[in-house]
Amino acid sequence: MPGIAEYLILGAILFALGLVGFLSRRNLIVIFLSTEVMFQGVVINAVAFARLHHHIDGQAFALFQLVIAAVEAGLALGMIVLLYRRRGTLDSEAWSLMRG
Amino acid sequence: MTPTTAHLLYLIFALGGVGIYLLLPKAGRSQALAGAVIGVISVAGLLTVLAARVILPDATTVYFYLFATIAVLAAARVITHPKPVYCALYFVLVVIAVAALLVLQRAEFLAVALVMIYAGAILVTYLFVIMLAYQGGSPVYDRRSREPLLAVLAGFVLMAAVAGRAEDLPQPASPPTVAVPTADAQDAASQLHDSNTGAIGAAVMTKYVVALEIAGVLLLVAMVGAIAMSRKKVPVERFAAPVRPIGQVGREVEPY
Amino acid sequence: MSIETLKICGIVILLAPLAGAVLAGALGPVKLHGRSHWPAILGVAAAFIAAIVLFGQVRSAPAGETAAAVSVYEWITNGTDAAFTVDFLIDPLTAIMLLTVTGISLLVVIYSRDYMREHGSPLRGYERFFAFLALFVFSMCALVLSGNFLLLYLGWEAVGLCSYLLIGFYYGRPAAAAAAKKAFLVNRVGDFGFGLGILLIYFTFGTLEYGLVFQMVQEGMTGVGDALTNGRITTIALLLLCGACGKSAQLPLHVWLPDAMEGPSPVSALIHAATMVTAGVYMIARCGAIFTASPIAMTAVAIVGGITALFAATIALAQTDMKRILAYSTISQLGYMVLGVGVYAADSAIFHLFTHAFFKALLFLAAGSVMHAMGGIIDIRQFGGLRKILPWTFLTFMAGSLALAGFPLLSGFFSKDEIIHHALTVHPVLGVLGLVTALLTAFYTFRMVFLAFYGPQRVPEGVHPHESGKWMLVPLVILSIGAIGAGYVNIEATGRSFHHFLAPVFEHTFAAASPAHAAAHGVAATAHAGFWTEYGLMIISGGLAIVGILAAYILYMRQDWLPGLIRASAPRSYRTLWNKYYFDEVYDAGVVEPARQTAHVCVGLDDYLIDGLLWLVTAIVRGIGLLLRPFQSGMLQGYALSMVAGIAIIVLLVFWA
Repeated sequence: MPGIAEYLILGAILFALGLVGFLSRRNLIVIFLSTEVMFQGVVINAVAFARLHHHIDGQAFALFQLVIAAVEAGLALGMIVLLYRRRGTLDSEAWSLMRG
Repeated sequence: MTPTTAHLLYLIFALGGVGIYLLLPKAGRSQALAGAVIGVISVAGLLTVLAARVILPDATTVYFYLFATIAVLAAARVITHPKPVYCALYFVLVVIAVAALLVLQRAEFLAVALVMIYAGAILVTYLFVIMLAYQGGSPVYDRRSREPLLAVLAGFVLMAAVAGRAEDLPQPASPPTVAVPTADAQDAASQLHDSNTGAIGAAVMTKYVVALEIAGVLLLVAMVGAIAMSRKKVPVERFAAPVRPIGQVGREVEPY
Repeated sequence: MSIETLKICGIVILLAPLAGAVLAGALGPVKLHGRSHWPAILGVAAAFIAAIVLFGQVRSAPAGETAAAVSVYEWITNGTDAAFTVDFLIDPLTAIMLLTVTGISLLVVIYSRDYMREHGSPLRGYERFFAFLALFVFSMCALVLSGNFLLLYLGWEAVGLCSYLLIGFYYGRPAAAAAAKKAFLVNRVGDFGFGLGILLIYFTFGTLEYGLVFQMVQEGMTGVGDALTNGRITTIALLLLCGACGKSAQLPLHVWLPDAMEGPSPVSALIHAATMVTAGVYMIARCGAIFTASPIAMTAVAIVGGITALFAATIALAQTDMKRILAYSTISQLGYMVLGVGVYAADSAIFHLFTHAFFKALLFLAAGSVMHAMGGIIDIRQFGGLRKILPWTFLTFMAGSLALAGFPLLSGFFSKDEIIHHALTVHPVLGVLGLVTALLTAFYTFRMVFLAFYGPQRVPEGVHPHESGKWMLVPLVILSIGAIGAGYVNIEATGRSFHHFLAPVFEHTFAAASPAHAAAHGVAATAHAGFWTEYGLMIISGGLAIVGILAAYILYMRQDWLPGLIRASAPRSYRTLWNKYYFDEVYDAGVVEPARQTAHVCVGLDDYLIDGLLWLVTAIVRGIGLLLRPFQSGMLQGYALSMVAGIAIIVLLVFWA
């Protein structure tokens, strides 16, 4: 029976992989996809803690996580479409107006 | 976790970092093969280290490690594949593996909800946008990464820091199959009911009803925002009322 | 004499010329223009009248009460003990000096009205001249009136400043600007020693008031009650002598005075003949107590004076510029005055100062008149026989020359004679030097007269000579009356009134020390020598003057091939005299060049070291900026990376530390 530790390690691994993807890929879509991978790690952690404490709160939290993820995906994709229309490219390096 | 196990874990994490670094799209010759090999080795090592503590594997453990492996490998492929469509598809795989893991933890409602929302809605939307912004061929931003070394370093150090301490938490006594009544009588709503769905529903509808409402508003706002963002701007003059000089008589003509 | 009257006189003497200067300088360029001389003339005239009143007050004071310290106001104070006041010391010496200064200044200012009209420079030359001249009168009067060393030093520096401003009056000419700089810098060297002397006085005695200091010196005590050492007082006296050498153009700081002739002739007459250069002599006479307390210093003073007198006279033999000859003559006569003070004959020195002011100012103003007529040329080789063309100038010039040469019965004769007499008593060698110098003085003076005014009439090309106007001639005539008759105030027949007038000033210092000194040297010292000794000396010095005049007559009027022969037979000596013993060249190589090299080094230090340090500071800032700039790339993922790195470090610290 895998204990809490294994689930937490798995959650950390998924979160970290998503983080690496967010930081290093240049395609705007893949960046947000990596964000979703981070969400998966968080969901695993939340549910694992729910099981640890014998509460349903963790799962409720994970449910609201899903809502947030959906909202974020919708808005992010809308923005990606806008940005693509502006510059004609999906490159994140095209947007460095805040430099200096 | 004994210290030696911890050190082994760090070593495996380091190895995994090297593998991810080699797999990330870079200029020059692709080192994906080497990266893949190293990555698989590290995952195998992880499994060995973690599973070695289990004396008698039962079905739950086996399934856990199986789906965990799938999830990790698919997630690695999500972030390292040069083509965005493949990233999305690998992500579907991640979602399914995570759903399986949730089922293993008796969170069936959440598992199904995950599959429905992610694989059903979000991923489809992603694929639509990928098609919308199709650039053809392999553009430069897919072939190269930004600062792969620093990103891998930062991410894996964080991971090792968090994961290395995961053992400090106490184990649950036994997998709860039925609700274990808690001492807190006011927390009756949060006890596990007959079914997982029922339990979540009871919790959300009573204890977290405000959050539920706010979540609904959030979704509405997001919908309105997405529509407002992506609409084309229409010149205002087409709808402006005609200016009629004082004293002029005659038939009004529609502007359009 | 009433203190109130003295105070009012003193304030008028100071402030009237100052007001004239300010008015001429401020209103001259805008309103007065050609009438700018009026504020200066009126101011100096008011000062002259006040000086006469002051003189009357001092003269009528009963014996024993001839000195008065008049305090005007407290200037600097630190609240408890140290206080510096503006106060006057009014005694017979002050009165004589003030009369001389204001009187000669008034005549010079009147003379300048016509002279500067034609010889002014552009850029408000006319107004500028009178403003500076009146400012000079104020400074000189402050110097003379002062009752403490601080005000003396202030007046000292102020006259140096006015001298610089007026020498460099024609500042468009590089020679004039260089001469002004030279005067100021050489004076600075002397003033440095002078300032050190004053500081040492304050350090030793704790006060700068004349009365207190002289009293302490005579008692042999310092300000804190210790005994005054010989070394200390000698040091103070020698440092003060340093200042006198600078201001009065004695060896080795005499080099500025001949070059100062670049200024207009009235300036040369007033500042570099009659008043400013005598400030050194005045100062030594005033600080008699300090000097007489140190026999070594007195010997030094006498030697400096005597050698300078002879040295300058020899140089004057070979010069051809009329104003330069007069300048070296001034140095030589100042040497006489310093020699006089050095041989305990301070009253004789002041008497010579008095008469010298008349005839030297007269000579310079007359030279200015010649220059005026000759269109700015003053080289005596270029004109001749001006006797008929400029009659009045010739007559007054002749009067001044006779007085300078010490022709019997003129003023210079009496004053010079006394100094030589005292010198022979105290330092016989210096007395003989004085006699030789007198001979040379007569010779070169009349060389100048014969070459310029006698002989065939020669005038430079294109010049139409004309006699000067009334405004220039009247002061000349007045000064020649003084040059002829000023000596008579001090002869036996009038009861030696000059010396008697000054006696109270020196009776405790020079007069008292002289017998002691003479006793130590085993020579009988008397204020009035025996009949034959004194009159014998008069005959000898008068005879020397006549011999010198005759020699010049023979060499330049009769056998005028003789000077050429002398020049050819001793070329090296002639060249040395012509080049002023190469003093300027030695100073240039030994002092000016090292200073210039040091300046180059400093410029290099400034450019590389100091500016380099500044550059380093800016380079550090720029470097830090360069390092930090990539962090603001504008790339979202870069910022996210920084955040993650921070979180990783924090997590590490929290979980692992």
